[in-house]
Amino acid sequence: MADLVHSPLFGLLLTLASYRLATWLYGKVHSLPLFHPFIVASIPVIVVLPLVGVSYTEYRDQTQVLSFLLGPATVALAWPLYRQLHTVRSVWRPILITTFIGAALAAGISIYLAWWLGAPEAVVGSLAPKSITTPIAVEVVKSTGGYVSLAAGAVAITGIVGALVGGLVFRLLGVKDDRIRGFALGLVAHAIGTARAFEFSEKAGAFAGLALGLTGLVTALALPWLWPLISPWLFPG
Amino acid sequence: MIDGLLILLLFQFLGELVIHFTGLPLPAPVVGMVLLLLALMFSVPYSDRVADASGALIRHISLLIFPLGVGIVLQWERYSDYALALTVAVIFGTILALVLVTLLLKLLLRDRVKAGERGGRADG
Repeated sequence: MADLVHSPLFGLLLTLASYRLATWLYGKVHSLPLFHPFIVASIPVIVVLPLVGVSYTEYRDQTQVLSFLLGPATVALAWPLYRQLHTVRSVWRPILITTFIGAALAAGISIYLAWWLGAPEAVVGSLAPKSITTPIAVEVVKSTGGYVSLAAGAVAITGIVGALVGGLVFRLLGVKDDRIRGFALGLVAHAIGTARAFEFSEKAGAFAGLALGLTGLVTALALPWLWPLISPWLFPG
Repeated sequence: MIDGLLILLLFQFLGELVIHFTGLPLPAPVVGMVLLLLALMFSVPYSDRVADASGALIRHISLLIFPLGVGIVLQWERYSDYALALTVAVIFGTILALVLVTLLLKLLLRDRVKAGERGGRADG
């Protein structure tokens, strides 16, 4: 009986059941960001694994097939990016400028804050890609020497925070332009921010999807080159 | 669906090949994404068949990332020493970045409200 929990079947079943429960609840609460499936689904998994004596490392091995699909999911981001190219033709210049500055800001602020508060190199490196979509972030974090699980968790929390405060920030700053709301949410809060942007309008959603793709691309292309320059400067010796 | 998966895996593999032969310090799936984007832009035959598989994978990114992300809690003893740095960087850092990016967009798009009105059609 006890050996039944030590198979991929168990890990996958637990994950899918928790996730399905979480998406059902998310629909019930009308996509309230605090009830994001990621947060809700983690509760049964965190409770059950220690109860049945399965370690986190073993659980991660059991569910490897899901993590493997992050690769194809990254390649798949080319599709929405391609579909949305036409929506930005008239504003491509401010969009590109914002992508470069915004991607640098999002990564730079988290790197600086974590470093300033005394986090070691591997932790700072895990936070650098926190504003980009998860499948790209878990690839990029390998080049910054961070922890995959910390990066993935930070990405999820970043998305949830962005979606939670987005409405308030836009109201305080007097922003009514859906292009701005969408692009800002997609840039800072990736897929979770994009889902939030679609609640403003389809146009906001399209701009968010574009921001998600561009920011992920720019960060993934730049960070592996820049990190070896930043890291020795922040962490000499 | 099979066509789409085949295309995605093929482009990921092409990404691996590029990395293997050039030694670029980039994630192979990202290179694959750029190659697929180029293929789509140049209307390479059949490349638009990625639509279904792409949509399905992207919709469930939360599920794919879940086993890795939940490690932030299950391996918390590894990170708990840096709880303050993590909380401030992730929560305050995200809010600050969102404010700054919004202000930047306001500044850059201010004079373009009319010029940019066209073409806001979105796909779910």
